Amino acid sequence: MTRRTYLIKRVLQAVFSLWIIATILFFLFRMGLPDPTSVLITEGLNAEQRAAVRAQFGLEDPLWRQYVLFLTNAVQGEFGTSFSYRAPVSEIVWERLGNTMVLMLAAIVLAYAIGVPLGAWLSWRRGSSTDTVGIFVGLMFRSAPMFWTGMIAILIFGVGLLMFPTSGMRTLPYDADGFLDKIFTLDFLWHAILPVLIVALYYLGSPMLIMRNTMLEVYGEDFIEMARAKGLPERDILYKHAARNALLPVVTQLAVTIGLAAGGQVVVEVVFSWPGLGREILNAVRTSDFPLAQASFLIMAAFVISLNLLVDILYTTLDPRVSFR
Amino acid sequence: MTRKFMLAGTSMLAMAGFAAPGISQEHVASVEILTTTESYDPIRYEGAFIVAEAWRELGLDVSVRPMEFSTLLDRFYSEQDFDATILGWSGRVDRLDPQFFLGTLDSRQADLGANNPGGYANPDYDALYDAQGAEFDIDARRDIVHEMQDLYMGDVPVVVLFHRDEVVAYNNTQFTNMNAMAGEGLYSEWVPMEAQPVGDRTTLRIGGPQEPDNVNPLASTSVWGWKWMRMYYDRLVRLSPDVEPVPWAASSVDAVDDVTIDVTLREGMTFHDGAPLTAEDIAFTFNYYMDSEYSYFNSYLAPVESVEVTGDLTVRFNLSEPSAPFATITLSQIPILPAHIWSEIENPQDLTPEEIPTVGSGPFAFDRYDRGEFMSLTTNRDHFHADEIAVDGVEFVIYADAEGVFTALQTGQIDMTAWRMEPGQIPLAEGNDDLTVVSVPDFGYFHMTYNTRREPFDDRAVRRALTMAMDRERMVNVLLDGRGEVGTTVVAPVNAFWHNPFVERFEYDMDAARAELEAAGYSWDSDGRLQR
Repeated sequence: MTRRTYLIKRVLQAVFSLWIIATILFFLFRMGLPDPTSVLITEGLNAEQRAAVRAQFGLEDPLWRQYVLFLTNAVQGEFGTSFSYRAPVSEIVWERLGNTMVLMLAAIVLAYAIGVPLGAWLSWRRGSSTDTVGIFVGLMFRSAPMFWTGMIAILIFGVGLLMFPTSGMRTLPYDADGFLDKIFTLDFLWHAILPVLIVALYYLGSPMLIMRNTMLEVYGEDFIEMARAKGLPERDILYKHAARNALLPVVTQLAVTIGLAAGGQVVVEVVFSWPGLGREILNAVRTSDFPLAQASFLIMAAFVISLNLLVDILYTTLDPRVSFR
Repeated sequence: MTRKFMLAGTSMLAMAGFAAPGISQEHVASVEILTTTESYDPIRYEGAFIVAEAWRELGLDVSVRPMEFSTLLDRFYSEQDFDATILGWSGRVDRLDPQFFLGTLDSRQADLGANNPGGYANPDYDALYDAQGAEFDIDARRDIVHEMQDLYMGDVPVVVLFHRDEVVAYNNTQFTNMNAMAGEGLYSEWVPMEAQPVGDRTTLRIGGPQEPDNVNPLASTSVWGWKWMRMYYDRLVRLSPDVEPVPWAASSVDAVDDVTIDVTLREGMTFHDGAPLTAEDIAFTFNYYMDSEYSYFNSYLAPVESVEVTGDLTVRFNLSEPSAPFATITLSQIPILPAHIWSEIENPQDLTPEEIPTVGSGPFAFDRYDRGEFMSLTTNRDHFHADEIAVDGVEFVIYADAEGVFTALQTGQIDMTAWRMEPGQIPLAEGNDDLTVVSVPDFGYFHMTYNTRREPFDDRAVRRALTMAMDRERMVNVLLDGRGEVGTTVVAPVNAFWHNPFVERFEYDMDAARAELEAAGYSWDSDGRLQR
């Protein structure tokens, strides 16, 4: 199998997975979630009025027709209209996804930029008390619930010291021409510091520990022995030879993490009232807003699948040991 | 539902004197209490367990089934597939008129999806319901409303468990003269018109975890949409803080006869775009709503047959039947839309957010709505009420949860909460000198509804006994931290004019509950299971 056929095969696999997911989502929501009109019931709708609302939402059509319509639209990037907002779903989802991604990517980049060298350094100092403290701190932030760390951060820096805002992305109200205009401001940065820090601390542990452990394995490899025998300085051995080889699993982990980032950290979005996709999904499921929920989950799935695909493609370049089977 | 049959012969140890040998005794059917999940509402969740415990003590086989909220609504309203359910009605202002809550026991509203899922059917009650709805004389109507409460109460088809106090707070270093309203808290239509700025901000900032579903007056189906929109859309009548209907855009409302109402408009009113507000706009609005597929106002518009323009500033409403709540509810809830804008719109429900017109004639004018973040209005200085309004505008900041709202209140980012505080926040707010905590009784209520079509709830005696077995006093103390009151009838005590205080109360009394069951021919087997 050549590299090219391998790539074509992988892309087809990804498209197939996405279709399966879309199908599952479509039926899962319609079977698992209550009728969207039940959200309106509290105001006392009778059966006739509910049927009218259902017809308006296109829910009175046979299921197979709804399904076909959903798929044909989805392929064209069209996800219909949100039941509760009465607005095009794609508009809402893209805006929210942008808000989520800017928070998550900043946090992940920060976590990896600090975590990777930190892990390498810890492996170097393995067994020392520095190593123990480092592992402990990493694991602690990994296991502490983010709503708790988030609330503590808000209490100390927001309410107590009044240093940082406690909610939102910008000082309200603000006017911005498009997404970039919204986030390239000091005001945004000032709002983002706390949530980004909380998420970054949570993610810090995994690159740090993966790096540390892979480094430890690499130290035992022949080529390190070889380098030592050549009398290369330890620092060079550590950063030029060992670290490069240890990066592979970290890169994999990074891609997977970024893939999962699209769903955001709902908890953080709630604690900091960050208008992201996670919060929106929560609302969509709560109100049985099928179009919005489907689109949000589908876009998240697309992210995960494409990043996995990317990892596989990267590996064919990065790791000569990968064969096309 | 499982039903176990048991012959008395097999339980010779049964308490002497109850089971006559030879007559087959049957266990009373097992019951399931449906309630919300703990995460959705711990109060209704815990409440179900308190009730279940007491019912078990009475010998009933009870299980509690927490459900996802919308699934629960479906089971209760659309399918009516339940034994007993704990749910609630929110106290919206238009429900202060007794019409709505009394209607939840009307047998003609017992079909699937309607407001009487328990299926209580009492012809006398239904007749009185029609009578009060047609009675224009308010005192005569009150007598009927009182009689209805007394009439149904003995049958207890539904138990009003308790009314919760709405506990809200505002920042007294920023604003004063904040008068909370029953059922509305601080986020009423009056607070923004009455608030006096004393700090450095002249716009009133409200914060809350809920936002409108949309601000399309022909699509919004949430309280949060309408609480916002009613500030920039006028009504013919507004309900005063004491829930008296006061003429608003109307200068007078006159009943020509039982089914003919003449409304005269104030002179010189304009919409926010400068266009004059005339009788044409009123007639257009009502007809537009009646012709639309928008069902949210259906119950308000039900009595209206037609609306005709009789002059520049006069309209005549022809009703299909006499309707007492017409002036209090219909005229106070329907927003006045500008005909020159909406008459161009054919499918108003399909408008995208950018297309939705926001021109009203209200005391505030729409400024902006950034979904998920922020909304604002500016004071309409051309409004007839403008001289009374001290604020320059109203802003609403949307948070993800109650925690975010309270933090914002503490740090001065907002001036008041739109929604009740969490129990844990109340003492914190009380201990903060800058914050004033306001407690308003609610006329909405939490209820336990029995399915009167099903065993054992088809038996009045069982319903009465099970109600006596509920320690609602304890529920208020434990579940609400004492912030609330035990329920009586569906018309809340705080709704003083309509509430009948002289009805059977069903105080907590296990002995009375047992006696009630015995008198109706029930007994207990050796294991203490209730049988008949």
